[in-house]
Amino acid sequence: MSAFLDDRPKPVRSLSRFLTFALIVIVAVSGLTARLFYLQIVDGGRLATLATHNRTVLEAIRSPRGLIYDRNGRALVTNVATFVVKLRPSDMTVVQRPVVVNRLAALLGMTEGDINATIDGNPGSTFDLVRIAGDVNEQTARLISEAGSDLPGVQVDVEARRQYTDGPLLSQILGYTGPISGGQLVDLKASGYLPDDLLGKAGVEATYETDLRGTYGSQSVEVDASGQRTQTLQTVSEPKPGDSLTLTIDTKQQQLAQKALTWAMKTVGLKRGVVIVMNPQTGEILALVSLPTYDNNQFARGISNAQYGKLLNNPDKPLLNHAVQEWFPPGSTYKLVTGTGVLADNKITAKTLVQTHGFLTLGSTRFYDWNRKGFGACNIYCGFAHSSDTFFFQMAGKLGIDRLGYWAKQYGFGAKTGIDLPGEVTGIVPTNQWKQDARGVKVFPGETYQAGIGQGYDVVTPIQLINAYAAMANGGTLYQPQIVRDVVGPDGVVVRPFTPKVLRKSVAPASVLRIMRNAARNVVVVRHTYNLVDLPIRVAGKSGTAEFGLKDSKGRLPFHSWFVGFVPKDPRHGSFNATDSQLVVLAFAYDSRTKGNVATEIVKYFMQLHFGIKKDYRLPNLLQRGNFYQSN
Amino acid sequence: MGVIRAQPARVSDWAAKSVGAAWGAFDLQLTTYAGLLVAIGLVMAYTNSIQGGAATFSRGLMWAAISVVVFIVATVFDYHWLKTLAWPIYGLELGLLVVTLAIGDGIGGSARWVYIGPLTFQFSEIAKILMIIVLASYLASRQGHLDSPFSIFGACLMVGPPLALVMLQPDLGTSLVFAAILAGMLWMSGASLRWLIALAAAIAAMVPIAWTYLLRDYQKLRLTQFLDANPDIQGAGFQLHQAQIAVGSGGFFGKGLTNGTQTQGDLLPVQATDFVFATLGEELGFIGAVVLFVLFILLLWRVLVAGWRSRDAFGTLFAAGVASMVLFQLIVNVGMVLGVMPITGIPLPFVTHGGASLVSMAAGLGILQSINIRQTRAAW
Repeated sequence: MSAFLDDRPKPVRSLSRFLTFALIVIVAVSGLTARLFYLQIVDGGRLATLATHNRTVLEAIRSPRGLIYDRNGRALVTNVATFVVKLRPSDMTVVQRPVVVNRLAALLGMTEGDINATIDGNPGSTFDLVRIAGDVNEQTARLISEAGSDLPGVQVDVEARRQYTDGPLLSQILGYTGPISGGQLVDLKASGYLPDDLLGKAGVEATYETDLRGTYGSQSVEVDASGQRTQTLQTVSEPKPGDSLTLTIDTKQQQLAQKALTWAMKTVGLKRGVVIVMNPQTGEILALVSLPTYDNNQFARGISNAQYGKLLNNPDKPLLNHAVQEWFPPGSTYKLVTGTGVLADNKITAKTLVQTHGFLTLGSTRFYDWNRKGFGACNIYCGFAHSSDTFFFQMAGKLGIDRLGYWAKQYGFGAKTGIDLPGEVTGIVPTNQWKQDARGVKVFPGETYQAGIGQGYDVVTPIQLINAYAAMANGGTLYQPQIVRDVVGPDGVVVRPFTPKVLRKSVAPASVLRIMRNAARNVVVVRHTYNLVDLPIRVAGKSGTAEFGLKDSKGRLPFHSWFVGFVPKDPRHGSFNATDSQLVVLAFAYDSRTKGNVATEIVKYFMQLHFGIKKDYRLPNLLQRGNFYQSN
Repeated sequence: MGVIRAQPARVSDWAAKSVGAAWGAFDLQLTTYAGLLVAIGLVMAYTNSIQGGAATFSRGLMWAAISVVVFIVATVFDYHWLKTLAWPIYGLELGLLVVTLAIGDGIGGSARWVYIGPLTFQFSEIAKILMIIVLASYLASRQGHLDSPFSIFGACLMVGPPLALVMLQPDLGTSLVFAAILAGMLWMSGASLRWLIALAAAIAAMVPIAWTYLLRDYQKLRLTQFLDANPDIQGAGFQLHQAQIAVGSGGFFGKGLTNGTQTQGDLLPVQATDFVFATLGEELGFIGAVVLFVLFILLLWRVLVAGWRSRDAFGTLFAAGVASMVLFQLIVNVGMVLGVMPITGIPLPFVTHGGASLVSMAAGLGILQSINIRQTRAAW
């Protein structure tokens, strides 16, 4: 057995290498001991103080957020100082937390569940401040800040919050600010956003966030072991205030538009409606009302979960701006596109007479005119004025779906207008290509008929529709609608002045648009819009009745009502040959089902208020409810 | 690559030549020092369980019990077999690491732990001991050729794949442990000094390349944070800053068990595992830490003695590997807490509450004892 061991080579055991290794052990451990000695004995006192007392943290100095004015310089939002209660979760132990939450809930009148949800939903780390409550009253704020170490990690800050002068009147335009979400924080952390930050969440507060915010400064602050601030050490960088905005909105016009819409909605019992007022020469939006709406001051004060849930669950979507964030079938207002197309493509001239009928037959399907008698032989003025469906079925047939789609896109349909409000949707312009992509088949001839009268697959946003009519009114320039006029620096100097933005120089030949303007005037003149022609001002326009949804037991469809009208620069004597209109107004009534066209009544009422017409031309008997497919 | 000589080749060969175990040579000191270190680890697990929940302590006890069993089995097992089984062991090692990459879990998309029933297991800890066995076998088989650069090259080639697999997890710290084991064992094997210096120079030259192409940004940040004179104490440097406050505030005698304000106040992340030394420094003070250091020095001394006494090269080299691993982990882990080493997730041997680490250390010491008790026929 020993022979086995002996016949093997003797292991190479170098004493010097063993000793070197041992030396490394000694040196390394000595080094660690020396460092430990330095930390615990030499520097121990200072570090012990740090552990029990103070530490320095870098805090942001928030920049004052820019203000927002209407076109006449009226302040629409101001910053008011309020007390905000915040909490740094890492400053309280697991054991302390329930006690702290319980006391805060009692002091702030919140539920423990809400506070716990806020802390756990905190987008930052446990070392970042969490915003527990805003707009805390002074007495509570004082109680909390005096509680000091009884509420470890809790602090009271004075912060500016937004106070919206007119509340719900401009909520859809201004939007509101709210606490940053986890996802937003990830994207914006690099731009200096803090876990307890506020930022614009809707309206121009959101679209102009970068302008309004300014640049935060920073200061170093000493805090004690329980997270209470003991002193400010120094300002590291000064904050730069945000820029202010001047809107194109005229508060007065906004009030009038809201008044007209509210009147009709109340009289009829409508659930949703939109009114837009626009200057067709520049694309400036003078008023934009979308109802129902919400109060942005609720958000600015810190909305409770219950209140927010109520807004979210409302079937009429008050948080949505129906003018830009939702699409609807345009109905007969879309005949502008079909009419422009057939004239521009020389399928007919202004003089061409077309036989209209009670219905057209395609295959085995009948396509009815809204007027079952038809209108006889009609040219474009007559067809457009009476809104003859069989006239425009034939026009759509002449154009074909792809040329119809081309002219729709010329007018800006099927694409965002680029209005400076968030969440704009595009709508749909059906073409063969679109249907091939969406449904895998081409458009059927019957669907082309429907598309020609603004039904079927056609869907548009109110802002697209008014913009198209504005282009017709101004002689063919498609502008980008704008809500903000100027961006003004903190020193009052205009940083970005207003410039009209042209989307398309000419949507159609000027001669064609002149015919369409006069045809639109003819709509009013032939009393298709009842007594609108009796007003002492000259209005041109087009109504629309857009069916949607499901048929009722009698085979009738519910419908929306539209009217888009415009007046020449000289409203009393101006001509529609001219392209000088300064005012386009759109009204939209969701699921109206009225005897007459309620949208026309809304625009009429707005015109009366706008031009100070004393006599009241409104026809309330047209606003009776009843599912009658009366006129287009 | 050199052939690992399988000796004995057959069981019957071995039975005839086996050296009997001599229990008198069992190194009681070695076991005692290790036992004391584990006891300190359990005390730390207890104090951390006040904050982290009772499971921290009970799990520590359970792993300690498992480790005792592993230690006894490894001691009784004749270590000569390990040379015979070197290739399968190497395969097992690679297999464990591949499995970890395939089904492993970890923080932020890494793959470090494998779930076995209710337990999480870090296979890379086991892989370290397996690597030492494989390397010891290989270098022992190269006796007489150690002047050749091919021996060094071969050893590097064997460490390469497991190191790369660990790097992919990604676990930079553990892959550095592999490198340290390689360095220590090459040194003790008596490999040509000239070639070792050449190798070191080559590695030094490759550092800039590795820095640019191999390391991820967060790894670079952690590696450089401790060099920063004005660290970002709210961000990446937070842990480091808090750890130093914890240790520093402990002073000479410490604040007493369970009284650490930093560690108990939950200011210190991963205090039960990689930063356990911070808790020890805060609660047991300078005295406690020095006791820990002395225990480590004594333990390393007994490991080296076991290596020196071994009649065969495998025993010497295995001891060298264990010593290198323990020393490297001690320096890096404690150095990290003290702010003189970069932050890497390397456990403190025996003390860190972590199952796989303790079990693999127990296996290592068991094999050392097996070496101790099977040398008595030599002329010592």
